[in-house]
Amino acid sequence: MALTIGRRGFLQTAALAGAALTLPRMARAATPFTMQAAWINDAEFSGYFLGMDKGYYAGEGLELTYLPGGPDVIPESSIIAGRADLTLTTPDTTIRAISEQGAKFKIIGTQYQKNPIGVVSLKKNPINAPADLVGKTIAVPPVNIVTIEALLALNGIDKAQVNIVPYAYDPTPLVKGEIDASLDFTTNVPFTIGQLGEEAHSFLLYDHGVTLYNDTVVVTEETLATKRKELVSWLRASRKAWAENLADPALYPPQWESTWFAGTGRSIENEVFFNTAQKPLIDTPDGIFSMSEEDIEKNIKALAAVGITGTRDMFDTTLLAEI
Amino acid sequence: MASDRSFWRSPALRNLLVLLAAWEVIGQLKLVAGGALPPVSAILARFWLDRADYPGHAAATVWSSTLGFLIGNALAIMAGVLFVLFPRLQRLARGVNIAVFALPAIAIAPILVLTLQGIAPRVVLAALGVYFVTMTATVVGLSQYDSRSADVVRAYGGGDWLVMKLVRLRGAIPDILGGLRIAAPNAVLGAILAEFGGGGRWGLGTYLLGSLGRGDPARLWGIGLMATLIAGLSYAVFALISARVLGSTRSVTLNTALPPGDGDANAPLALKIALALGAAALPFILWWAFIRLSGVPEMIAKTPWGVVDYLFIADTSAVARAKLGAALMQTLPITALGMVAGLGFAFLLAISSRMMPGFIRAFMPIALVTQTMPLVALTPLLVLMLGRGISVTLWITISVTFFPAFVLLMQGLQRVPQSVLDLPRAYGASAWKELRMVSIPAALPYLFAATRLTVPRALLGVMIAEWLATGTGLGNLLNQSRGYLDYGMIWTVASVSVLLSVAFYYLVLMVERRTLTRLGMQVVE
Repeated sequence: MALTIGRRGFLQTAALAGAALTLPRMARAATPFTMQAAWINDAEFSGYFLGMDKGYYAGEGLELTYLPGGPDVIPESSIIAGRADLTLTTPDTTIRAISEQGAKFKIIGTQYQKNPIGVVSLKKNPINAPADLVGKTIAVPPVNIVTIEALLALNGIDKAQVNIVPYAYDPTPLVKGEIDASLDFTTNVPFTIGQLGEEAHSFLLYDHGVTLYNDTVVVTEETLATKRKELVSWLRASRKAWAENLADPALYPPQWESTWFAGTGRSIENEVFFNTAQKPLIDTPDGIFSMSEEDIEKNIKALAAVGITGTRDMFDTTLLAEI
Repeated sequence: MASDRSFWRSPALRNLLVLLAAWEVIGQLKLVAGGALPPVSAILARFWLDRADYPGHAAATVWSSTLGFLIGNALAIMAGVLFVLFPRLQRLARGVNIAVFALPAIAIAPILVLTLQGIAPRVVLAALGVYFVTMTATVVGLSQYDSRSADVVRAYGGGDWLVMKLVRLRGAIPDILGGLRIAAPNAVLGAILAEFGGGGRWGLGTYLLGSLGRGDPARLWGIGLMATLIAGLSYAVFALISARVLGSTRSVTLNTALPPGDGDANAPLALKIALALGAAALPFILWWAFIRLSGVPEMIAKTPWGVVDYLFIADTSAVARAKLGAALMQTLPITALGMVAGLGFAFLLAISSRMMPGFIRAFMPIALVTQTMPLVALTPLLVLMLGRGISVTLWITISVTFFPAFVLLMQGLQRVPQSVLDLPRAYGASAWKELRMVSIPAALPYLFAATRLTVPRALLGVMIAEWLATGTGLGNLLNQSRGYLDYGMIWTVASVSVLLSVAFYYLVLMVERRTLTRLGMQVVE
């Protein structure tokens, strides 16, 4: 390593020196820690809301700042730019960034053992398996085009045989029959479809070869080296909060109506549905966030189908072991 | 000022009521897109149910758009005055001005979110939306003064500054107000766009994003109408002020003296070349400085050189060029069509407004809604009505392009002095003949200025349609690249779309210069 010190390095050193000077007076003060979420506030992030409300992060000595996401927020950008210490994202973007652009990321855990993304259709015009998509129109958010490519590739379907159009997160075209299916969270949109008087039908991509995690917990190698203790604390508090939230998925969302879910434009019934539906995708006997060797292997294999080269060393399970 | 009674009897109000009633019936009977267009009563009922949600979101949008409006306009008016006082400075800044004007907001929003944080992307996008309109209006207003009034000041020993103060600034006020009027909805739209994409909890854009998944068009229309209300109020304030000011500053008679020519025509060639080169380089220097100052790492924030490297030097450059080329082949032909459609629509409207003023007054509220209704909220309605082909792209492009052109054309038509209009009337000419022989030729500089406004915006319209409905071309490539974490491509699409818009702009400008010089008219900046 060169003996130069960058501007950020200098500021950090200065801040550390400053902190060291004031340490005796505020020894018990919490360490600021920022997490970047992948989307706007909804039940997908219930565990973190619970952890903050119940003081589980504070109990671990973390002063957690929570940043909601959005369509233009690329979660990885927040950790590259130093705006967040940790982000929730998808394994395909992270691993592509590591293998193709040399990004220094590590995946240290995963919220979803199975990706909730699936193909959602209407019961009266059901899409039961990837093969049914041939000759049909499916709406896909442009950012998820990699995911649908993986599904088609792993099931031996030529991309040209499926009509892929943009999805703007509104299920109306599906309900009105303008499209045959959409790629969306199976834990979420079926609720709305039911509200609109139709019955939804869906399958998980995970059950058709796209064996990927979702909301993987990603950090930069630099953060891993300098804030290891805080990361373990975050994992420990988050696991505790998630377990508590999933114990009764209908309990907490109504309590956040005027706090975390205020003004989101979504209904509390929708959040309860979401929280309940995601339980089997998050729960694991090894403890929430854990990554088994077998599953890591499955992720690498699924990504290989779309030409993304992942390796075992992109995943770091040692922090989970320290919880 | 019209009395209350005459307002209640006015044809404008009658037309508006007819329109609302028709909307209600169409919505109730689910005549459009199987009920995707909700009746007015359903929108209002939903709005009432959601009333607790609105104050927080509206306040956030008003706050960031006002901040952007103030910053953008302060810079714009200052720049406008400086440009008129020092024409060489304007030449130097021309590249920056045109680039700011041509920036397709949807290509810039992701870049601002990458490089800035908090509400900064919202404020910057709002400020970018107002700068060019107000700056141009200021320059137009200051340039198109009546040289006879200036001669009076000079004859009494006044210098440039006194002419500026007593004649030009005074004469420019209606134009500046006209600029602010168009700029106001732009600021609101810019802020909402950044809220939609940028993460955060409050703002109408965030509310819209959260509401999309409900499949409830009444909510989406409610949000759109709230945005319209905010934009409409700001528009109305400036329209009212400008209506009061305009009467006192318009020339009573037509000035037949030719305006002073290009002051820099005799400048040495070397200076001209240096200014042109500087103008071309300045946007890139500012881009580079912005990246350096933001302190965002090279991997996500590309400098101009980073884009060149990505597109021509890096190992993957061939793949990148192929992707970009394929997208351009899809986007460019339809953009050309969209330009013609948008301009044609604006021209027809402006002409109709002279022939049938009542119809236009009733149409104005709808026109304003199309400017402030976030298109993403209308996507289901649009794709259900128009499909995902050329027609949806053309309609989106028209809705994005026609409004500024229409306002500018109207201004041109309105500035024709009364005495000139009296002549054909005295000879019994029809309204159409008067338009054809007097008003349209007199408004020609404004028609060209409107074309320059429309043409780059057509690319924005096409990119929005590609993003929301068709899934092709540059608009789609930009969004896909986010999923691929392909930062190089995000910056490439943004810069290529700006460069293209600037190229379109210059194409119009060349034709304009030739035509107007031949006719002895002045180019409207």
